[in-house]
Amino acid sequence: MASLTTLIDQPIFWGWIVLILAALGTYLWRGLGVLLSGKISQEGALFRWITCVTYAMVAALVVRIIVLPVGALSQVSLSYRLIAVAAALVVMVSRKNALVPALATGTLLMVVFGLLEGLH
Amino acid sequence: MQVLNARHNRDAFIAGCRDAFGVPAAVLLAGMLGFGALGHASGLTLGLTTATSVLMFALPGQVVFVEMMAVGASGLAIVVATALTAARFLPMTLTLVPQIPKHDRDRWLYGTAHLISMTSWAVMMRDFGKIPPDRRRAYFTGFGLVCWGSSLPGTALGYLLAGFLPLPLTIGLIMINPLFFLLGFTEVKAQAYRLALLAGGISGPLVYTIAPSWSILICGILGGTAAFLVDLSLRRR
Repeated sequence: MASLTTLIDQPIFWGWIVLILAALGTYLWRGLGVLLSGKISQEGALFRWITCVTYAMVAALVVRIIVLPVGALSQVSLSYRLIAVAAALVVMVSRKNALVPALATGTLLMVVFGLLEGLH
Repeated sequence: MQVLNARHNRDAFIAGCRDAFGVPAAVLLAGMLGFGALGHASGLTLGLTTATSVLMFALPGQVVFVEMMAVGASGLAIVVATALTAARFLPMTLTLVPQIPKHDRDRWLYGTAHLISMTSWAVMMRDFGKIPPDRRRAYFTGFGLVCWGSSLPGTALGYLLAGFLPLPLTIGLIMINPLFFLLGFTEVKAQAYRLALLAGGISGPLVYTIAPSWSILICGILGGTAAFLVDLSLRRR
């Protein structure tokens, strides 16, 4: 009993409990998706609407991460971030199968901008 | 894409594994490296940081989890915030699973569903149409397993390297993930989905400043519905 009390007094123990609950809260949506997917036909308007909702969600998240980042990305100014993204997009649409060069362009520019910001 | 002429599920599974090695796994690895570094900087243990990647396998939610842990937010607030960030998995799963034939959907799909991430979803949305329906499930499983498998070493490595990597390099690694998805948007061709990307992309940061936890749900449902309706009315004309 004494060992149990010391265990639950430790913050790391609660960290794991919160992680397991957060992981369940994340999985819940995936599992619910499998459960409900039997009711949805790939050809229907419902499927197209849900796909619209998904694309809007994903775009909202991705653009938010770039424009209003939390963590290390925020240490490079917004204008630099937008320049890096714009350059990568230009490379991407300039020719076919340009994913890797476009990714490399954006990533390298971010490293350079990080250096220009005086980060180390 | 070797999966096009895969005659057995085994071949399709291996083709999925092979296609994931390369850009998709590299993008995930980079994101997880950045996340590992974040876990280190936030004072979490190596075990907890790595387990976050394996158990949640959803980078934006993981970042929310670590940031809130670091500032000592309440457990309930952390669980609610991460669960709300993960809401996108419902429509993502709802758009992925109906593309798998009904006879291929059994209870195992509840396990496979954990492998759905932005990476695997984006690639499947692009390529499922070219893959014979009977091979899609095996292909996705192989692809998703490699992506999931790369999350553990990526996070652990990022955590261990955190003190040694220069910050600009870490920033470059963190940028790879959102950039990958943004670049992928240019390959979405259908008008309705393009409108949805536009609506979500514009509203995302704006709504986030007002309601950070709810922004993805709000932007998704309102922006997606608006795009769906605008597309309908444009096509009726």
